[in-house]
Amino acid sequence: MCVGLPARVVSVNDGTAIIDANGAKRDVRAELLDDLEPGDYVMVHAGVAIAKIESDDETEGNEVMGILAI
Amino acid sequence: MNDIIERARDIITGYDGPKVRIMEVCGTHTHEIFRLGIRSLLPENIDLISGPGCPVCVTPVGFIDEAIYLANEKNCLITTFGDLIKVPGTEMNLAKARANGAKIRPVYSPDDAVEIARENPSEEVVFLSVGFETTTPSSCLAVKKAKDLGLKNFSILTANKSMPNAYLKLKGSANAFIYPGHVNAITGNAFCRQLKDLGVSGVVAGFTATELMTALAVTIEMLKKGEPFFVNCYPRVVKDEGSIQAQKLMDEVMELCDTQWRGLGTIEKSGMKLKNEFSDFDSRIKYNIPHIEGKPNPGCRCGEVLQGHCKPSDCPLFGKICTPLHAVGACMVSDEGACSAYYQYNSSINN
Ligand code: SF4
Repeated sequence: MCVGLPARVVSVNDGTAIIDANGAKRDVRAELLDDLEPGDYVMVHAGVAIAKIESDDETEGNEVMGILAI
Repeated sequence: MNDIIERARDIITGYDGPKVRIMEVCGTHTHEIFRLGIRSLLPENIDLISGPGCPVCVTPVGFIDEAIYLANEKNCLITTFGDLIKVPGTEMNLAKARANGAKIRPVYSPDDAVEIARENPSEEVVFLSVGFETTTPSSCLAVKKAKDLGLKNFSILTANKSMPNAYLKLKGSANAFIYPGHVNAITGNAFCRQLKDLGVSGVVAGFTATELMTALAVTIEMLKKGEPFFVNCYPRVVKDEGSIQAQKLMDEVMELCDTQWRGLGTIEKSGMKLKNEFSDFDSRIKYNIPHIEGKPNPGCRCGEVLQGHCKPSDCPLFGKICTPLHAVGACMVSDEGACSAYYQYNSSINN
């Protein structure tokens, strides 16, 4: 139940979004996120999009290690 | 393997300082770390221990007993995340209750439970609401939806947990925590900074190989410096302020309460229950559930496992009497439980 599902937003309509997670499409609640647009990536938990995913993990890793100079 | 993983691996495998204990709090982290083979990289002086970050594992036995009471005595239709179905209650689990005729139905989300209530007006539908800050917003949304729809046959049995005070209880069990990324995605990082001021160190981590390796390498580097620290290693998802909308929603529908954790006992203000305005949707109030004191199997060491005091393999029942098919404790049932991770990836255990 706790595994987050990363997914791409296909469409957004009135607090609901259709998402595509590895080819599987489903409706999720999207009212916790502002300005969601098709093409955005989100993290889904128990049928709710809880956060936007803003970059890939390598860019992130470089940033984090860069800031700490390690 | 990418460049970051290589750099991180060099830092981790090259660590030659004093022995450190790092606790990965989240059950999904425990599983991913095993699955990716990260444990086998660790030198002897890095001890990775599993914490209480699996909501199914920390749900006390009495909660399952309450659900069975509602199914058997009040003829309710129980809807639940599938993970809870095999968690042992005092006398039986929900699977056994179902075999005996109780109405138990797994759902993917609390919204699905609301839908079942709408489609079946003659059934009294109860949703078993477990989870940390990550999942609690979905229960809050479902309750609001049920209220908007005017449903009289839907309620939730809450065992929702809030992490911050649990960390305080665990203070001293590890040199640093790997915080669960998706809890922080909701709560933000303020409480981690407060913990740092109290001398509790940690990093927030994501779930990919790159993210977990980065988080471990950063933890090692920061531990070497010897000062309490906090680093957000998952900024692509976790914002410092968290999700304001989710925080507002939880604030509107639920409030903190003292609650019991399997193995950790009662922790002040570490649970979430419905506010008075939503009491019509609170199964405990609606069905006047008597106090039920669950009795865990005395042989199960889940409590110690959840606090990092022992490894699953130290439990005498592990792998012999207790297996995922015949689980004695919750930590063996849940896909995110530490005992099930140790069992599933047994071959890669080397520390
Ligand atoms: S192996 Fe089974 S009995 Fe032992 S602590 Fe884990 S869940 Fe409990």
